[in-house]
Amino acid sequence: MKEKLGRAVVGIAGLGGLGSNVAVALARTNVGKLIIADFDKVEESNLNRQQYFVDQLGMLKVEAMTENLRRINPNVKIEGHQIKLTADNVPKIFGEADVIAECFDKAEEKQMLVETVLSKMPDVIVVSASGLAGYGNSNSIQTRQVSKRFILVGDGKSGIDTVKILTAARVGIAACHQANAIVEVLMNSG
Amino acid sequence: MEILKINGVEKKFAAGQMPKTIAELLEQLRVEAATVVAEVDGGIVEREKFAQTKLSKGQSIELVRFVPGG
Repeated sequence: MKEKLGRAVVGIAGLGGLGSNVAVALARTNVGKLIIADFDKVEESNLNRQQYFVDQLGMLKVEAMTENLRRINPNVKIEGHQIKLTADNVPKIFGEADVIAECFDKAEEKQMLVETVLSKMPDVIVVSASGLAGYGNSNSIQTRQVSKRFILVGDGKSGIDTVKILTAARVGIAACHQANAIVEVLMNSG
Repeated sequence: MEILKINGVEKKFAAGQMPKTIAELLEQLRVEAATVVAEVDGGIVEREKFAQTKLSKGQSIELVRFVPGG
C-alpha cells in the first residue's frame, strides 16, 4: 500500500470544507504528492467545518493548509497554487495528477472542473461531490461511479441554496467518501 | 415509441416527441444547463455543445446536476 500510494499524485481543486478534509485524510494516508489550489483566505466563517485554526485567520488557504499538512506528515510533497481555477488553467496546474478531487462550493465551478477533466485530461479520474448540506441523514451520502473516469459523492440534492447550512460532520462525511474513493482508485491502478 | 435511457432509467417518448438535442432534453426536464455535466454513451459532451449535440433513440445519457456547497 505504502509504495503504491507513495507514487501517486492527487490534485485538490478548492480548499474549503471538502478540500481541506480530503487533503488531511490523504496526507495521513501517505499519498506521495498533493497539488492543492485555492485563491481564498481563511475566514472566521470557515472554522465551523474547515481544517484551519483560529491563529490562521487571514492567511491564504494554500499557505495555511501547506503548514498544517507538513505538521501532519512531512513526507508528503505539497505543491500549492494560489489561483482561481478555470477551464484554461486546470489541465496545466493538475497535469501531473492521477486523480483530481473536485472540492468547490459553487455548482457552476463543480460543473467546470468535472467537464474540463473529462474532456481535456484523458488519463485523469475526477472525484466530485454534490449534495452534502445540512445535518443527519449520514447514509444518504453515497459514492457512485457515474462513468469510467467520473466518481460522484453526495446525496445529489442537498445544496446550500436550499438547505442553508453546512456542518462539519456532514461535509466531513462527503469529504471522507471522496478521499476513500481516491485511495481505492489509486490502490486499484497500475 | 422512442426510448432514451436517462441515468439508468428508460424514458419513453411518443413518436416525434423525443428531444432532438441535449439542450432540448434539459429544457423538458427544466434543468439549468450551467450546472449540468452530460455524458452520452459514456462520452462527455461539453456544455457549449449541448444545443448542437443530436440525440438518437436508444442512447444512454448520464446527467449530473450539481448543487452548491463544499
